[in-house]
Amino acid sequence: MMYIVFIMSVLYVVGFIGFSSKPSPVYGGMSLVVSGGLGCGIIMGSGGSFLGLVVFLVYLGGMMVVFGYTIAMATEEYPETWGSNVVVLGAFLVGLLMEVFMIMWLFSGEHELMGFYFGGLEDLMVLGEEGFEYVREDYSGGASLYSYGFWFLAMAGWMLFVSIFIAIEVTRKRY
Amino acid sequence: MNPLALSLILTTLLAGTLITMMSSHWLTAWMGLEMNMLTMIPILMKTTNPRSTEAATKYFMTQAMASMMLMMALTINLMYSGQWSITKMTNPVASNMALMALMTKLGSAPFHFWVPEVTQGVELTPGMILLTWQKLAPLSLLYQMATYTNTNLIYLSGLLSILIGGWGGLNQTQLRKILAYSSISHMGWMLIILPFNPTLTLLNLTIYIMLTLSIFMILTNTFTTSMSSLTLMWNKTPAMTIMLMTTLLSLGGLPPLSGFMPKWLMIHELTKNNSIIMPLTMAIMALLNMYFYMRLIYYSSLTILPSTNNMKMTWRFTNTKHTMTLPTLITLSNMLLPLTPMISMLE
Repeated sequence: MMYIVFIMSVLYVVGFIGFSSKPSPVYGGMSLVVSGGLGCGIIMGSGGSFLGLVVFLVYLGGMMVVFGYTIAMATEEYPETWGSNVVVLGAFLVGLLMEVFMIMWLFSGEHELMGFYFGGLEDLMVLGEEGFEYVREDYSGGASLYSYGFWFLAMAGWMLFVSIFIAIEVTRKRY
Repeated sequence: MNPLALSLILTTLLAGTLITMMSSHWLTAWMGLEMNMLTMIPILMKTTNPRSTEAATKYFMTQAMASMMLMMALTINLMYSGQWSITKMTNPVASNMALMALMTKLGSAPFHFWVPEVTQGVELTPGMILLTWQKLAPLSLLYQMATYTNTNLIYLSGLLSILIGGWGGLNQTQLRKILAYSSISHMGWMLIILPFNPTLTLLNLTIYIMLTLSIFMILTNTFTTSMSSLTLMWNKTPAMTIMLMTTLLSLGGLPPLSGFMPKWLMIHELTKNNSIIMPLTMAIMALLNMYFYMRLIYYSSLTILPSTNNMKMTWRFTNTKHTMTLPTLITLSNMLLPLTPMISMLE
């Protein structure tokens, strides 16, 4: 299990290939769920337990659920899957082939795989102006968004608000 | 569009560019670029035909890909250097990838393919915003990070842009595509001088924006989008036809008009740095641009095509388009050359 994070990132890329080969959004959504879960696993394997659970909650539990329901409303009778169309299958296989080549290249080189440090998120860092307060890095990241990164949060909230307006403008009566 | 939604979207467009131009942290710069891209989409889709939708989709796809590459570049930079500053991207992989992403956002070759198609697919006013305002944010980032990039890549892209901007515009009859190729060509000029003297990049950007704004506003006022409508412009507004002529000559870089100033100073700067073949090639390729501007001038001002007699006398309707900024812009785009010593204020 030394390579668990590596395996999870390879499967993460395979999940991305799964929806980039453009099957129907039903199957694409399933692939996104798999990739999202594996991404959460990567973050957790690097020590960031809090952020991984945030990914699960917000991304999978919020975004993907809404996405899944909207797709379910707009579904068609014969959705295109990976095996139904030769183009989709071909794209998926090409992506898989590239990933296999990359893994072969990674394992053939002189550098060893354990050179990647996968534990960066469980370090302790100093947060706060006075005194020495050691907190975990992932917790402090989430907290800093609301204290030092207030304007980041404001801009992110503003853009989410504007995105609603954009989505409504785009989906008005157009052909 | 609903005025409330339009004002919100335009405010966010402004805010996006300003955030990018004011930032020293890569994440805020990227955030501003994303804000620009997202709010540009409904502006491009203001008209309800499928052509605009297709153009907005193409714009979104290319710009999203460029933003993705930029994000990867800056995370690679973070991995190898541990800091987020824009001016110190010392890792070559990161800086070259960021360079390519920003070149895609600007529309310079070999990532220029979206510019003519998107500009042609939308109306004149969104096309104007696309070719002028959207250049500010990526160029401000390029201005800061260009010192650590591979200059060969910058020269290659710049030369290719000038070539493609020149040759690509030769076979066009639609004015928006001609202005798109002109934009590609001017981006090439701006890129090449970036390693030598970045102030001249800003000067070229300023004068290019003034010229492009003038031309777009003249075209908007007379409702011309193709060369065939240009031939009828003498009848509607003879004054604007003459102004179009001088502004197009200025865009081509002809002395004694303003457009000559950046080209002259750039060639001067390049020859001061012992580079002879490149400014020679650039100057000769700028003549290709000049050829199709001359074709536009010929058909709009220098020739009156044969027509029946009743077409020679049009009824003058009142102009409903606002022309408030147009006289100032035309004056600035034609007569700025004597003020060349004032470029020291750009430094």
